[in-house]
Amino acid sequence: MAEPRAKIRPAAREKDVPLHEPRSFGGRLKAIMVETRSVMPAADGAGLSLILVIAAMCFLASLSLGAALTVGRTSADWARDLSGALTVEVKPSDAMPQDAQVEAVMKLLTETQGVLGADALSKADTEALLEPWLGKGNVTEDLPLPRLVDVRINPNAPPDVEALAQRLAEVAPGAILDTHRQWQTELVRAARSAQWLAYAVLAVVAATTIAIVTFATRSGLSANREVVEVLHMIGARDKFIASEVQRHFLHLGLRGGIIGLALSVATFIGLAWYGKSANSFLVPVSSLRIEFYPALAAVPIVAALVAMITARITVLRTLHRLL
Amino acid sequence: MIRFENVGMRYGMGPEILRDVSFHLAPGSLHFLTGPSGAGKTSLLKLMFLASRPSRGLITMFGRDIATLPRAELPDLRRRVGVVFQEFRLLDHLTTYENVALPLKIQGKAEESYRADVKELLAWVGLGERMMAKPPTLSGGEKQRAAIARAVVAQPDVLLADEPTGNVDPDMGKRLLRLFIELNRLGTSVLIATHDHALVEAAGAPELMLNSGRLTIRG
Repeated sequence: MAEPRAKIRPAAREKDVPLHEPRSFGGRLKAIMVETRSVMPAADGAGLSLILVIAAMCFLASLSLGAALTVGRTSADWARDLSGALTVEVKPSDAMPQDAQVEAVMKLLTETQGVLGADALSKADTEALLEPWLGKGNVTEDLPLPRLVDVRINPNAPPDVEALAQRLAEVAPGAILDTHRQWQTELVRAARSAQWLAYAVLAVVAATTIAIVTFATRSGLSANREVVEVLHMIGARDKFIASEVQRHFLHLGLRGGIIGLALSVATFIGLAWYGKSANSFLVPVSSLRIEFYPALAAVPIVAALVAMITARITVLRTLHRLL
Repeated sequence: MIRFENVGMRYGMGPEILRDVSFHLAPGSLHFLTGPSGAGKTSLLKLMFLASRPSRGLITMFGRDIATLPRAELPDLRRRVGVVFQEFRLLDHLTTYENVALPLKIQGKAEESYRADVKELLAWVGLGERMMAKPPTLSGGEKQRAAIARAVVAQPDVLLADEPTGNVDPDMGKRLLRLFIELNRLGTSVLIATHDHALVEAAGAPELMLNSGRLTIRG
């Protein structure tokens, strides 16, 4: 019985010879991270450094993109918040007592179309506002304090602000309408500058990435020149070689990009957490909203496409120099 | 099959490496190409496997004038020519099996269609046990045989071999020569460039002799 089995074994073993190298766990991990199953070599030193460079550039690109989107959204929020509010400042006047002024102002406001509501700060509220500067109980009765009226307007159908200001001055001499416009304009202008700065950084990072990827792809190709030449000599078409090479670089680019994206997302989450605990950010970084994440996810895809297209153009140019 | 008429070749503005070379390789023929180092053997082979163009003269391969052939049609001609390079030029990151199967892979064939043939060929050249080894771990003779297997795997019409016995001992040289003669019997035209006169005499085939760029034919 043992005889036939012994005869079968060698044949069976020959059939089972694996055609690709067996891999250890580390080898498999390396395969997932850096190797591509193509006729191009796995990422060697040059490939690994290309991955690292792309990771770093994608990290910077994601940070600046995230910052630009966040600042843009925040300034839009500010503009919306402020343009939904007005303040009437009622200065003491000799013409009529202050309470009568406030009453007249409130009456006019409730009659005005487009005003959703108005709250007059009482004298006590006004004194409370001044407390940090003047101290408690130091406000004397005869100190002429302006009274403030907080007005909420309908931002979709706002009242005619200029006419309103004029009527206020008529019904209550000393009443001034503050539209916050100057403050709002300056704030929004500052935010817009920050946003454009972030976009400029993004553009510089993108241009640098393209330049570095082009350079790294070329050096990667010259390291693999022998492979390209041999493929060419044994009758591979340019398209075949280009598609093998571009797939290789697409994988490298994608891996580097994903590493960079992961780092930047971790950074945003870290900043948000820090911002919450320290409460020290004028621009709330935690407002990197969920709808911005798809935009960030585009960063590694764009980086990988840049690497791929660069590789394709470079390899086709190189091949055209060969016969 | 391959015809050279008054072919001359120079690199850049340098002197002519080949002068007025004329010969014809008929289908199913076996030839040797001999000559001292620097005589132009490798340059002549480069012209034949379409790695360079001649400076003058006419080369026709498989009935096509290569001077007027569009670049896009060259891969088809290259696939009909198997080459054993002097320095093997195996790809170090691929296994022996993958190296040998490469010409079939680039033709777009599915691996299932050629796996058995490639294994059989590897067994035939004595590399059946070394299929998954990578070239850096192969001995000189093993690399030589892997390079030969890659050159013949796609059953080319012509086989060009540059010093195929240069790195092996005389016994292995004879075995490889038998391999080439066997391939020639199966219908492949073979041209072997060599320094080894013993090899030429053992085979008794016609000899193209290059000397200072000029070709003479013996036998």
